[in-house]
Amino acid sequence: MASTTSAPEEAPHSKRLPGDLAIWIFILAEMLAFAVFFSAYAFARAGNAEMFNLYQQTLNRNAGALNTLLLITGSWFVVLAVQAAHRDDNKGVSRNVALGILCGAAFLAVKVFEYAEKFGAGISLSTNTFYMFYISLTFFHFMHVILGMVILTAIWLQARKGAYTSQNSHGLESGAAYWHMVDLLWIILFPLVYVMR
Amino acid sequence: MSGTFTKSMARNIFYGGTVFFFLLLLALSFDTLQQLPKRDMRQNITPQIAEGKKIWETRNCIGCHTLMGEGAYFAPELGNVIVRYGDEGVKAFIQGRPKDGIPGRRSMPQFNFTDEQLDAIVAFLKHVNSINDANWPPNDQG
Amino acid sequence: MQYKSQAVAKPYFIAAIGLFVGQILFGLILGAQYVLGDFLFPAIPFNVARMVHTNLLIVWLLFGFMGGAYFMIPEEAETELFSPKLALLMFWIFLVAGAATIVGYLAVPYATLAELTGNDLLETMGREFLEQPLPTKIGIVVVALVFLFNITMTVLKGKKTAIATVLLIGLWGLAVFFLFSFYNPVNVVLDKFFWWWTVHLWVEGVWELILGSFLAFVLIKTTGVDREVIEKWLYVIVTLTLITGLIGMGHHYFWIGTPEYWQWWGSIFSALEPIPFFAMTVFAFNMVNRRRREHPNRAAVLWALGVGVMAFLGAGVWGFLHTLAPVNYYTHGSQITAAHGHMSFYGAYAMLVMMMISYAMPILNGKAANSNKSQVVEMWAFWLMTIAMVFITLFLTAAGILQVWLQRVSDSPLPFMVVQEKIAIFYWAREISGVFFLIGLILYITSFFIGGDKKETA
Repeated sequence: MASTTSAPEEAPHSKRLPGDLAIWIFILAEMLAFAVFFSAYAFARAGNAEMFNLYQQTLNRNAGALNTLLLITGSWFVVLAVQAAHRDDNKGVSRNVALGILCGAAFLAVKVFEYAEKFGAGISLSTNTFYMFYISLTFFHFMHVILGMVILTAIWLQARKGAYTSQNSHGLESGAAYWHMVDLLWIILFPLVYVMR
Repeated sequence: MSGTFTKSMARNIFYGGTVFFFLLLLALSFDTLQQLPKRDMRQNITPQIAEGKKIWETRNCIGCHTLMGEGAYFAPELGNVIVRYGDEGVKAFIQGRPKDGIPGRRSMPQFNFTDEQLDAIVAFLKHVNSINDANWPPNDQG
Repeated sequence: MQYKSQAVAKPYFIAAIGLFVGQILFGLILGAQYVLGDFLFPAIPFNVARMVHTNLLIVWLLFGFMGGAYFMIPEEAETELFSPKLALLMFWIFLVAGAATIVGYLAVPYATLAELTGNDLLETMGREFLEQPLPTKIGIVVVALVFLFNITMTVLKGKKTAIATVLLIGLWGLAVFFLFSFYNPVNVVLDKFFWWWTVHLWVEGVWELILGSFLAFVLIKTTGVDREVIEKWLYVIVTLTLITGLIGMGHHYFWIGTPEYWQWWGSIFSALEPIPFFAMTVFAFNMVNRRRREHPNRAAVLWALGVGVMAFLGAGVWGFLHTLAPVNYYTHGSQITAAHGHMSFYGAYAMLVMMMISYAMPILNGKAANSNKSQVVEMWAFWLMTIAMVFITLFLTAAGILQVWLQRVSDSPLPFMVVQEKIAIFYWAREISGVFFLIGLILYITSFFIGGDKKETA
């Protein structure tokens, strides 16, 4: 909030904040929510490490690793899209955004596969504290992937009309920043819940 | 207008964020509704318990007491009153309230309940006591 | 006054203040009953007085919200109200229905009232804050829908500003979530679960949109800061409100038979609920510091800053104090809850309505601001009421901490009534603070009748 007084003062191209300040506030709020959630996980685990370790082994780590790869790739495509916009390469923007969306879709597919197995085994939020965190954190993140894909789709529709140029990549950068957040959160979530013991 | 902080972006985030978190709330609520039968003892609800709840409501008991911690804080918690007083103790207490109150003390009205009504109230309170509410209250005093 | 149809706000404001007085008088009765148990018994038992106290609060705030909307919407939409006549008609219907309900509470036993008003057709009565008889509940829905129709039509035919949009979403949400008050299943867990869909989603959800919108409106008018700046921050703040507050509902689902994962979800998200309140405080102070003009109505500016601070303290800080599940396990349903309830309602909503009245009333009376003398009295009233409320909250908090300790934490827990007697001193102190609050309120009302020196036309 301190920035209310001085937000717009930077010159357009010297060290400016990519994207919109509003999306950054939103990203900060979301990351804070996740941070508190992660801390709660750490706190709960500290009191119950054996149980957490035991059930952690039932998670599908390969699916998790594949998903990590998918999201990083998705982020990479979105970076390419922003660079394409800065080059005024319209086709490049929409192609790379579309590839980013595809990565997201693949992530969801893997996740649905993983959930189907867990839910099929009768595991729910109420099974135990570990699964409570596993489902809560991954599902909360799952919804963020969907939201990120909705944002990217909106950007893709704009991009096909040639909306993003080197002069105006504001909206694209905002969406890209959000997508990177979704990626970043997974990169913390995956080792924390699937791997770390 | 500032180039890096636009109203339209703030508006879109407001709509998007609101819809997102409302959907999340719906998802969690949906799961809760699936889980409740395991905790709320609905299979035990009899017409007598329903009658007890109705008496509970139409006498506005919640205006002084709490039930599972919700209500007014003027009089004791009743979610576990059965544990404190037992069936007969609860009935005797309700029946024994003086019409004009107890001088100087917090007083409960005399409702002139019939025996059936008293049984219904006790059945309702017993039912509430049987609900799995994560071990609340911390002790029998409520 | 820019639009003559704004005048319909005036009766709403007057009714709001009148009912506010009633609320405080019954509050004092309740406070007295806490220490002199049989005070007014059996004529007005505690539960009846409490019902009157809380229902008057809800009704006067609704009057304030509606009055505020009728005042604000024409100015925002830059057009006359769709139908001032309808607004006046609804005023009388709401006032009569509200008064009849209160008389009903006081005149006949609650069970008789329930029977007379058709509670057997659809059982909705006897639940905290939703004690209203069925006809009153239906009346609230009708009045709310007609009101919403009226202001929505006004906005549709005029300009659609961000402030008006946020207000409309808040008010429509208010009407929609009230519908849950008609759902009262026999299963008490389900009953409680959906009861919160009215109560929580009102006070920690859509009402906060109304709060943000009113505050933004008064800040634009009194500080002269760019609408663009204020509106984008308004969006940011209400976003923060809803992303924390919606799932924050989980803090009510700890101990009522709902699954235990709510202890985590509820703790995590409600722990973040102070953030939007803090943002609102910083927002209010920031805008006032950047003001481009000195508005003659200094009292309104004081209320605006007061709302920010007291909402943050009452809802934010006092809410956070007992929102984490391990703490709430001990404090749930104690005087801590009462302390939080008092300061948050006063800070977030009572002060909000008084801010709106403070800004609008002089304009409705044809001047930009009240006389200096009147404003000084109003500001005294502000400080008296606010400080009295701070003390009420502190005493209740002290009572609550002791209560929790003696009744729930200690190795040999004492029975409820034994503990209540041990902490009676704090209830006395609370009651005395309450008297100061009433004096503040009387002063507040007096300020409306102080004419004065400089008369400026709006």
